[in-house]
Amino acid sequence: MKPRPPTLREKRRYILVRIAPPACVIEPRDLYLAILEALSSLHGDTTVAQVQMAVVKSNGEFAIVRCTRGKEPLVIGAISTVTAVNGTRVAVRTLALSGTILALQKKMAGMRSSGSGLTGDLHYRNVPYKAYYYSGEKVDLIEKGFKSQELLFLTTGDLEES
Amino acid sequence: MTLTDTCVHPYPVGDSSIRRMVLEARQLGLGGLVAIDTPPGIIEGIRVTRGVIITATQVREVIAALRKVPKNETLVMVNATDPGFVRAIIGLKTVHVLRHVHRAEKYAFDHVAARMAAEQGVAVDFDLRPVIYYRGVPRQKVLQKYMDVLTLHHRYGFPLTLSTNASSILDMRGPREMRALSLLFGMDEDTFSSLFSSVDRLLSPSYPVRVIE
Repeated sequence: MKPRPPTLREKRRYILVRIAPPACVIEPRDLYLAILEALSSLHGDTTVAQVQMAVVKSNGEFAIVRCTRGKEPLVIGAISTVTAVNGTRVAVRTLALSGTILALQKKMAGMRSSGSGLTGDLHYRNVPYKAYYYSGEKVDLIEKGFKSQELLFLTTGDLEES
Repeated sequence: MTLTDTCVHPYPVGDSSIRRMVLEARQLGLGGLVAIDTPPGIIEGIRVTRGVIITATQVREVIAALRKVPKNETLVMVNATDPGFVRAIIGLKTVHVLRHVHRAEKYAFDHVAARMAAEQGVAVDFDLRPVIYYRGVPRQKVLQKYMDVLTLHHRYGFPLTLSTNASSILDMRGPREMRALSLLFGMDEDTFSSLFSSVDRLLSPSYPVRVIE
């Protein structure tokens, strides 16, 4: 199939997003469905058709979302209303906006990944937790248990004080 | 000038400690937080202001609760219920913010209350939590209510605040996201910019100059 000449192509914009907490693994397809649901619920089918949203790239906690030029505020608004992906509680943070994927990839490479290099078990207020340590003194605690898996977002300073 | 989130609930009410919320706020680009029942201070360069929420249905309960509120560096917020209550609350000097306008009775915050709020310098809070979490008709009603408040704001000029009502770092939103969400109920750029210093202006209002002889 012959590609369309550039003048007839739709102009696109790309949004770099970060998924929090970094410990959860999110499939690009699940992220796409979550954003699509949010967009559809917020702006309706007509806007969804105009926006042509897609998740074009996903790399760990980062992802690149595509939309048509001029519709970025709608997509950013919809992304802010995503609270769960495939049943996992997450927050999707908008980091940057660009006209090319390459520019965002460079930006992504320059950004430090929060990366949970260290994990461990600990007791916080007499409850057993699995701890994920991140850069910048951040610690995520996930309760160990079958019935409830409470999440706590603390810092190393909070753990030392307790 | 940076934006302040006017209501966050740190641990133990929420699942994130105040330090973690501050780290997240800094990463998101926020300049300050109003943390409910948390001592004020500056943590990691972010200004944390103590907030108090009064949930009552009678004015005398509010007055009783106000007596227990620390006087300095505390933002006092009261949840709106019915029109009579709202007007009485706005008349109280130590109340800074009227919140949960979307949950109040229809016309609880009307043009009379709006004019009073403008005279007394009481702000109305836009809670973004229902905009983020609700779907369908409930969210439509919230947006409709917020649009109505904005119409009254443009007419009478009372202060506004913006909050995420976050009890977790996952509920917190940055200025760019808040801007996108506030666009949903028709907030323009100028109104959004005026929110940047709203907490400071509420805590230290500028009264007219008085000549003391």
